[in-house]
Amino acid sequence: MTGCEFLSTDATTPSVVGEALGDGLQVTDTGLRDSDRTYYDTFDGLLRGAGLLAAHEDGELALVDRDSGDVRQHARIATPGQRLFPRDLEPGPLRDALLDVVEERALLALARVHARRRALSVLDDERKTVVRMTLEEPALVDSAGRLSILRPRVRLAAVRGYDDELGNVKSALTRELGLAAADQPLVDEAVSAAGHDPAGISSKISVPLQFDERSDVAAAKVLKRLLDVIEANTDGTIADIDSEFLHDYRVSVRRSRSVQRELKKVFPPEPLAEFRAEFRWLQQITGDARDLDVYVLEFDAMRELVPEAMRADLDPLLEVLRGRRLAARRQMVSDLRSQRVTSLLDRWARFLDRLPSLDEGDRPDAPRPVGEVAGGRIHKVYRRMVKMGSAIDESSPAEDYHELRKRGKELRYLLELFGAPLYPDDVVKPMIKALKALQDVLGRHQDREVQIATLSSLRDELASVRGGTAALMATGALVSRLKEDEQAAREEFAARFAVFAGKDQRKLVKATFG
Amino acid sequence: MSRVLATYNIKGGVGKTSAAVNLSYLASRERLRTLLWDLDPQGGSTYLFRVKPKVRGGGDKLVRLKSDVEKLIKGTDHQGLDLLPADFSYRHMDLALDRFKKPTRRLARVLKPLEDEYDWVFLDCPPSISLVSESVFEAADVVLVPIVPATLSSRTIEQLDAVVADVRKGKGGVQVLAFFSMVDRRKKLHHEVMERLRAERHDVLEAAIPASAEVERMGVKRDAIGVFAPRGRAAPAYEALWAEVRQRVEG
Repeated sequence: MTGCEFLSTDATTPSVVGEALGDGLQVTDTGLRDSDRTYYDTFDGLLRGAGLLAAHEDGELALVDRDSGDVRQHARIATPGQRLFPRDLEPGPLRDALLDVVEERALLALARVHARRRALSVLDDERKTVVRMTLEEPALVDSAGRLSILRPRVRLAAVRGYDDELGNVKSALTRELGLAAADQPLVDEAVSAAGHDPAGISSKISVPLQFDERSDVAAAKVLKRLLDVIEANTDGTIADIDSEFLHDYRVSVRRSRSVQRELKKVFPPEPLAEFRAEFRWLQQITGDARDLDVYVLEFDAMRELVPEAMRADLDPLLEVLRGRRLAARRQMVSDLRSQRVTSLLDRWARFLDRLPSLDEGDRPDAPRPVGEVAGGRIHKVYRRMVKMGSAIDESSPAEDYHELRKRGKELRYLLELFGAPLYPDDVVKPMIKALKALQDVLGRHQDREVQIATLSSLRDELASVRGGTAALMATGALVSRLKEDEQAAREEFAARFAVFAGKDQRKLVKATFG
Repeated sequence: MSRVLATYNIKGGVGKTSAAVNLSYLASRERLRTLLWDLDPQGGSTYLFRVKPKVRGGGDKLVRLKSDVEKLIKGTDHQGLDLLPADFSYRHMDLALDRFKKPTRRLARVLKPLEDEYDWVFLDCPPSISLVSESVFEAADVVLVPIVPATLSSRTIEQLDAVVADVRKGKGGVQVLAFFSMVDRRKKLHHEVMERLRAERHDVLEAAIPASAEVERMGVKRDAIGVFAPRGRAAPAYEALWAEVRQRVEG
């Protein structure tokens, strides 16, 4: 879109444009209209990242290609509001296309733009439209309805088969009228003016590191980025904008804990012990709310597990889970708002700033190259997993699977946070892939284990609600299906583990990190 | 997969081009991605959409599949409605087709690369029976035949049946639908004839296009009737025809 969008001035009127075009082409005014448009994207800018934008205008939500301006999909939605879940839209191509990109995330109204648009057609000697042109005077509308002017623009839309004419119009605008191509599309200008980052706030971690960098410096960099993500996701978690805020919050806490544990010798022991205890608490106070988020989000998938005739009977179970979720959220929100959390994150930030300047006497790994320290940890955790996994068979207690999975998470974070920036992609990427495949099975096993326990614990509560008897029976059917699936996960484990811990893989890990 | 509709009649001047232009316009107005291929060397549809009747390399290169058909397409003044223009060379398209082993498959092959790009493709065919029309029947899902009640005689019905028979020789599964064109509402005879034929034949549609000044003004306005005379009698008649065609084709 940028290539066909120019910043204009008040002097850019239809007649001025017409004169600039010269012989052979003329301009005709096809109408003036005012429009109100609201731009949507997820908190982390998923649509923009996919080269798309979503705009609501005239009762219609459209998914638009950012570069070409082409409408990919559209559907009528009277008033989408400040927050919109694609999963709640009517089934259809727009819903599918949005879900493909944003999944569970909510689309948030980021900027409302009021624009006066004059539509012009550029005509050839047959009076055929060969280029469409819009002179647009946009203004940002704030929540109180006040306008602040955005830069006016000329937008060109190509008509198929008239590329030469488009080129002529473009060069007339730049050469004759001295207009500059827009440095950013209107959507970005509007979203920035509304106080948001057009690219969104990503929770992805990719901190560039040097192999020979001091380990404490590297660890502090990574941990500060993780702290940024925790802080960026706090408000959304508390406001329950969508489930990903809490998820990203917890992943960052867990990753921070991994770094604290795996690189423990870069920190002074005493403050570290305190921070580790506090981060463990942070993980705990957000745990129930997240688990119940997952139950509610995945309820339809769970419902599919029971015979069709029983599916509706599970409704009371969903209600019970929703009730528990709300209660867990209330508790979590009050914890997250507590002085204990704000003070913890404050102290943690200051501690990370100071870390490299602290005495090195009780933290021997601090000055060592991070490549060496992290590589050593990767090797060690991997070897430990190989040993643990080799001892697991289908009859092993659930606890063994769970322990292995916990190690797997440690290894995954080490690989993602340190392995990826410091070691060759052709070793790290396949290793992460094999690990993910293994973790999927272990995760499924653990999820089923927990779900079975949770559902069983809900029996009394469920028995006392309306429709409880049928719900209990359906829940019973669900639990037995979950048990079957847990067993299936056990059966799949061996094959996945064999890939992860094969002889060649072990050799490669040793050669790279050992 | 696009649906392909051909407007066709052995005779000229019966409202074939007008139907192609107005129906394709209505399709695009429903936001269906629409292409109109003006196969008639006279270039009526091309003229009405103000596009220059010129196809680089001509019809010959096109049916030899040596042209990049994507690059020959022109956007009309209506969003979502594109045109593959007529070219003077189309008058020799019979000869161009005759060169191939399976000449009647050629037009379908020209359209093949576009099948995911358009929801509906309209073919405006020259009035004749030839390799071109056989190719058109081969490429089409539905052949839409305008019939004029004024000249309605046993011969018109024979001609319609001849089209049906011709189409049947092809790949199969092609619908032939006829509609009344240039209807004079004041003539009782027209109404009687139409009633009788609709009752007798399942392939004759209810919708009828009136003989009207608006249809003739298309040549001056160079646009679809829905654009310059949306409140006249012809515009709603085309809308009804389009709705009926869609209903018959899409079920």
